[in-house]
Amino acid sequence: MVEKENFPAPPPGAVAVYDERQRSILIGELVGLVAFTILALGGVIAISMALADWREFEGFRAESTYNYAGIQQVDFVEYLRRRDQTLAQPSAEALQAYNVWQQQNPRTVNVQVLTKYLGEAYNSTAKVFAYMSKYFTPGVGQSCEYCHNLQNFAAYDKPQKTVAKAMLIMQFELQNKWINSIPRPEGQPLYQLQCATCHNGQAQFWNSVDKNNPTLENLAKFGIAGGGNPTQYDMKHYGITLNGKPPASYEIVDDKLLAARPDANGEVNYFQVTADKTTPPGLNDTYRNQAAMYHMNVALNVGCDFCHYGGYFKSYVTAEGTFKWPKSQSRHMVGMLQDIAINWFPQMPKTDPNRGDYAQPNCWMCHRGHVVPPGAYLPAADEISRQVSDPEIRPLVDLPLPKPKLPKN
Amino acid sequence: MATEVYRESFERRTKTVRYIRFLEGLADTQVGPIYLGMWGALALFSYLLCVFITAIGFGEQVGYNPIRFLRELPVLTLYPPPPSQGLRMAPLQEGGYWQLATLFLSLTLVFWTIRIWTRAVANGLRPMVPIAFSAALFLYAAIYIIHPIWVNSWNEAPPHGLRGILLWTNHFSVKYGNFYYNPFHMLSIYGLLGSTLILAMHGGTILATLAYGAHREIDEIEKSDEGTHRSQLLWRWVMGFNATAYSIHQWALGFATLTAVAGALGVLFSGPVEPNWYLWACRAGITPAVQAACAP
Repeated sequence: MVEKENFPAPPPGAVAVYDERQRSILIGELVGLVAFTILALGGVIAISMALADWREFEGFRAESTYNYAGIQQVDFVEYLRRRDQTLAQPSAEALQAYNVWQQQNPRTVNVQVLTKYLGEAYNSTAKVFAYMSKYFTPGVGQSCEYCHNLQNFAAYDKPQKTVAKAMLIMQFELQNKWINSIPRPEGQPLYQLQCATCHNGQAQFWNSVDKNNPTLENLAKFGIAGGGNPTQYDMKHYGITLNGKPPASYEIVDDKLLAARPDANGEVNYFQVTADKTTPPGLNDTYRNQAAMYHMNVALNVGCDFCHYGGYFKSYVTAEGTFKWPKSQSRHMVGMLQDIAINWFPQMPKTDPNRGDYAQPNCWMCHRGHVVPPGAYLPAADEISRQVSDPEIRPLVDLPLPKPKLPKN
Repeated sequence: MATEVYRESFERRTKTVRYIRFLEGLADTQVGPIYLGMWGALALFSYLLCVFITAIGFGEQVGYNPIRFLRELPVLTLYPPPPSQGLRMAPLQEGGYWQLATLFLSLTLVFWTIRIWTRAVANGLRPMVPIAFSAALFLYAAIYIIHPIWVNSWNEAPPHGLRGILLWTNHFSVKYGNFYYNPFHMLSIYGLLGSTLILAMHGGTILATLAYGAHREIDEIEKSDEGTHRSQLLWRWVMGFNATAYSIHQWALGFATLTAVAGALGVLFSGPVEPNWYLWACRAGITPAVQAACAP
């Protein structure tokens, strides 16, 4: 029973007078508010620490307007330094052997690929040596003797040389077909593929990332869905398969990508997810698409709006009409990825027949967290490859170039 | 006073009442009695089944390893069947768990609504709480049941899991153009912001009248020129008019149900009625700089 006299009379000037219960209510509210805030903050921090892989990130760059001039390539030497690697040099023994070979053969013996793609200037042994020691040695991180018989540089008695030759043909063919035709704004430099673009200073570069360490970042580098470790159930459920088998993890190159072909309009809809009246039901395509997109985030270290207009992801232009060149370019690059997976990796010889299949290519393979791959080069005038009508290795399937997306005016 | 009288008569009728002094200031100190009843028992049973099925589904994904279960809990997800299954019953590990869990989750919500309804009627109250709750139930049904059936695929429904529900929210928006351009989503957000605004105004107003004993509601009603009158005068001064102690709750209920009902309509119309809300916004002329991005 509340006593009448304890009930607070309206104070003059409406100044609050608190009784015990009011004080208790206010204190309760304040304590509750503070406790809730601490619990909520603590919860957020605890969850983020539990899923802490991404905290190592510097954060994705969100650049709403694409200005290629503002994007600097990370110098390859600097990139190696960050990984505690140094630029490989030919060994003293190899240099000595080369000097002997060069004196005996000032003109090249049995050089087939470089002369074909780069011109007759590469009939000079010194020229070839300069090219090799500039690109091959640092690119794969090995001295000459890794591939060459130092007594006879022209011989093919090491399997590594056979592989390197096939890889070199692939490099030039990919350059000619895909890189040279990339849609780009006026003035954007055209980089060249080199050994280092993929190998990044390691002969078997694929083993350089620990696939057994399934942090979020590591998984995403391999084209794996964002948001956490996929379980076996995830993979089975999504029906993502690679050559009929579930991959060890989500790959950007899956059966759907491998099976995609340009339609009558030259359009390749690898990532067609926005619905129209005829879109099949279900969100599986969207899940797959978002996994691939997150892979691109990590591989290039960019935010979504680097390529997309945030208001409508499908559009190639922003609301203001700015053309999103990176979206057009990444679409083109995915075509190259498909070409590598379908036409080139299956044809590459192996140094060890017991070695497993080549891993599937992905964006991280070259980009390594940068918009411009650290291992890409701006070529000198005599290092620009030319179109060859009779390549020694031909694509297995004819994969026409997708129709480029260009600004309308 | 009246409150105390009510408690006395209540205590005579039940022996399960407890008072927890610690709760003073946060809630009523009286805890219990709780009524289970048939619908409550059914709801509880159905909910436990749903949790059990989900736990089995999660457990299979981590090989029933408790450490892995805890570590991967935020990313463990029960997915609905793939699109190829349509509306069929799927094998357990390919969406069957999801179907069973969703079935029992839906039953739980229905039983719970009936439970509130019967308790309200038994208490002599209008069933406004279950009616309000059914708005949320409609949103749930639209997302998990009606929309998937309309587009003929359970795959359109959200998975069960912390990561899964977030991914679904994003993916559903991406698939249907951009959900922010969905006019029903706009309306739903309007309801959401409106109800938080109204709740804040109402809560602030009631707390402002503490000095006049507004927490002793019955005393406060009996005395004139107390908190209610002063707070109503406050709003007349501030915005020219005021809600009454009755109408403020109508406003709150209206805004809150608008949130759920408009959201449900937005989900239902995505696909069959309008597959791309961005292009709809282009046609409606409400996107900025219409000409640029509308014709990509």
